[in-house]
Amino acid sequence: MMKLLDISKKYGDTTHKYPFEPYHVADNFRGKPAYIFDLCIGCAACGIACPSNAITVQLNAEQNKLIWEFDCGRCIFCGRCDEVCPTGAIRLSEEFELAVKFDKSALIQRGELEVQCCTECKKPFTAKRLVQYSFDCLSKANVSQNRLEEAKDYLRVCPTCKKNATVSNFTTGKEVVIE
Amino acid sequence: MKCDIFIEALGQRVKVLEVTRQYEDQVTALVELNDLPEAVRFLYYDMGGYLSTMIPNDEREINKHFALYYVLSMEGGKMFEGDEVAQDEKCFVTVKTLISPDTLTYPSVTPKVPACVWYEREAYDMFGLIAEGLPDKRRLVLSDDWPDNLHPLRKDAMDYRYRPDMKEHYMEPEFDFLRPEGSGVIDVPLGPLHITADEPGHFRLFCDGDTIIDADYRLFYQHRGMEKLAENRMNYDQMGYLAERVCGICGYAHAIACIESAEKAINLEIPARAQAIRIICSEIERLHSHLLNIGLACEVTGNYNAFMHIFRIREYSMKLAELVTGGRKTYGNVVMGGLRRDMTGVEIKESLQILNIIEAQVDEVWDAVMDDKRQMRRWKGVGILDKQVARDFSAVGPNIRGSGIKRDTRYDHPYDFFKQVKFDVAVVEGGDVFARETVRYLELKSSVSIIRQCFEMMPQTAIIVDPKFHVKPENYALAYVEAPRGDNVHWIMQGSAQKVFRWRCRAATYNNWPSLRFQFRGNTIADAALIVCSLDPCYSCTERVTVVDVKSKKSKILTNKDLKNFSRTQKNSPLKDLR
Ligand code: SF4
Ligand code: SF4
Repeated sequence: MMKLLDISKKYGDTTHKYPFEPYHVADNFRGKPAYIFDLCIGCAACGIACPSNAITVQLNAEQNKLIWEFDCGRCIFCGRCDEVCPTGAIRLSEEFELAVKFDKSALIQRGELEVQCCTECKKPFTAKRLVQYSFDCLSKANVSQNRLEEAKDYLRVCPTCKKNATVSNFTTGKEVVIE
Repeated sequence: MKCDIFIEALGQRVKVLEVTRQYEDQVTALVELNDLPEAVRFLYYDMGGYLSTMIPNDEREINKHFALYYVLSMEGGKMFEGDEVAQDEKCFVTVKTLISPDTLTYPSVTPKVPACVWYEREAYDMFGLIAEGLPDKRRLVLSDDWPDNLHPLRKDAMDYRYRPDMKEHYMEPEFDFLRPEGSGVIDVPLGPLHITADEPGHFRLFCDGDTIIDADYRLFYQHRGMEKLAENRMNYDQMGYLAERVCGICGYAHAIACIESAEKAINLEIPARAQAIRIICSEIERLHSHLLNIGLACEVTGNYNAFMHIFRIREYSMKLAELVTGGRKTYGNVVMGGLRRDMTGVEIKESLQILNIIEAQVDEVWDAVMDDKRQMRRWKGVGILDKQVARDFSAVGPNIRGSGIKRDTRYDHPYDFFKQVKFDVAVVEGGDVFARETVRYLELKSSVSIIRQCFEMMPQTAIIVDPKFHVKPENYALAYVEAPRGDNVHWIMQGSAQKVFRWRCRAATYNNWPSLRFQFRGNTIADAALIVCSLDPCYSCTERVTVVDVKSKKSKILTNKDLKNFSRTQKNSPLKDLR
């Protein structure tokens, strides 16, 4: 018994004053993912990687906006989204105070992105920013000016129409030169 | 090859229809239905096996039958010096049998090998497979008001989202507790909720005066149907994270066991650095888990001072986890093929400092606790787990090591980096609470040394191999990890695409519960909470207790406070006005 009291004396106070003073977490703490709307290109990589479906990237009902949505209530702080995001739009932060007051909608974060409609079928298929991002990547890569001009067009065609075009090219025997 | 000697011996005993090898140390022998009990008994008692897990499986779409897999860890009975299988012969032998969907019955193994009792009860709940001759046919997993003929894990039974209507509480069928014969037996229910961890479990203690003469319990109030969920909608990437949430304390061990069983099924070897880091994280988990348990074992007996100090030290282990994984409790770094997060040199350096602190301070507090005569009186001679009982029920972890049996998966079936690491298995004789806590203390020390060795020896390799792999449907394999409470055994049969066909997750405590009944016997109810605690099932205090004196038909409801006080002070028995 006495020995324990000696130990108490030796170590003194060991508690933190939190919440009256900030509590510091480790450098690589896996806290609440922080989203930077301006960087997000709507590629949906995070939505696919997220094991608990906390992130969804979907067209809204009117089909005119691509909605990026994050539900913190579902998040398990695994960091997969952080890993796959090509632009660093989502990063795990040091935030750990996640409680909300009776209002679960406070756990939800949304981003609305402009959609790109297909130049062939006119249906929306991706975010404008993604098209721009792909184009920028191509411009930085070592491709000919010609190809870049072409890219401007085919980046705006949806995968379905692209597929159909390829099939019809094949079946009609049309030859396409790829530089 | 490993396992061959066991298969050969088994072949001389019963007819072995087919032998298949899953992994270098895992073999399955198919036997006829009627030979099942003898085959399992022979391997268990004559060849020195322990029951690791048993998997019922609905294979009607594969071979038009249900199947049972009894997995035995061949390591020797370990009841006396030398009663052990040679280190390089240790392996897992699975006895498999097929059951026709027309009869749905199979001969029970439990009368010959008591360790099977829970598994066979669960096989009925989940698959409707009837064990002929099973002495205890009550429900185990499903709640009492679950519909009678709905066996959830059958492939055609139900959608995983289906929830049958609940019955009003007064309509709920009564659960039959196994009551001992005799007059003057007082029936003390402990539960339905344990407050330290808010976990539900209902214990019935049958007492004569203050002495417990027998006990029975009803658990699984929190069954979450994870196996069904994983089968239906998860891929392997998601499963690792789900498995990590099986347990609130030793989740990481589940995550590795789960992912490793999928890796083993496709024979995927992960890089050495990933192996080492998996070991480091699981040992950090052991640090915080054992500190929690030793702390609680002090708290239940009223020693708050020691409890607080142990939790103060535990905070260092939580910090350590946060430092190297980014999370205090869920480490979230296991993925198929390796890990998703490496450790930096700075982190390793800081970790070593924290380890020094933990090591020194644990010794200090443990010394003080050992000096406390009052504390020792409460721990010594209480809740004895007899060596033979431990052997019969295949107990695991500190529970069995406290009974003088040298059983530790890290030593018996070294996995990952444990092939390189040196450590002593903590074995203590006695079988009482004191022995189990001492095992935990010794393991704290060895964990610190294991982590240090890993830091020192881990090579600079990649931490992940390209997890592109071809799943082979119907392939299965077993993975085992020594969690703080004993070995967690996961078994995965792969399905098509990225899905599992069957996932069986057996947590350590599953093997420890059936023998708890024997640990209760002969102790006073003041020690009941302590005994449950020393098993380390994550909870140890009592919420509400009803006491019934069978002879005088008197009954009394005790509050949590009453019983807690009694177990701390051992004064003012709450039962005295019933006598
Ligand atoms: S941290 Fe994990 S669970 Fe949370 S949003 Fe990102 S991927 Fe999803
Ligand atoms: S840019 Fe990043 S945050 Fe935006 S959708 Fe893609 S992966 Fe998600």
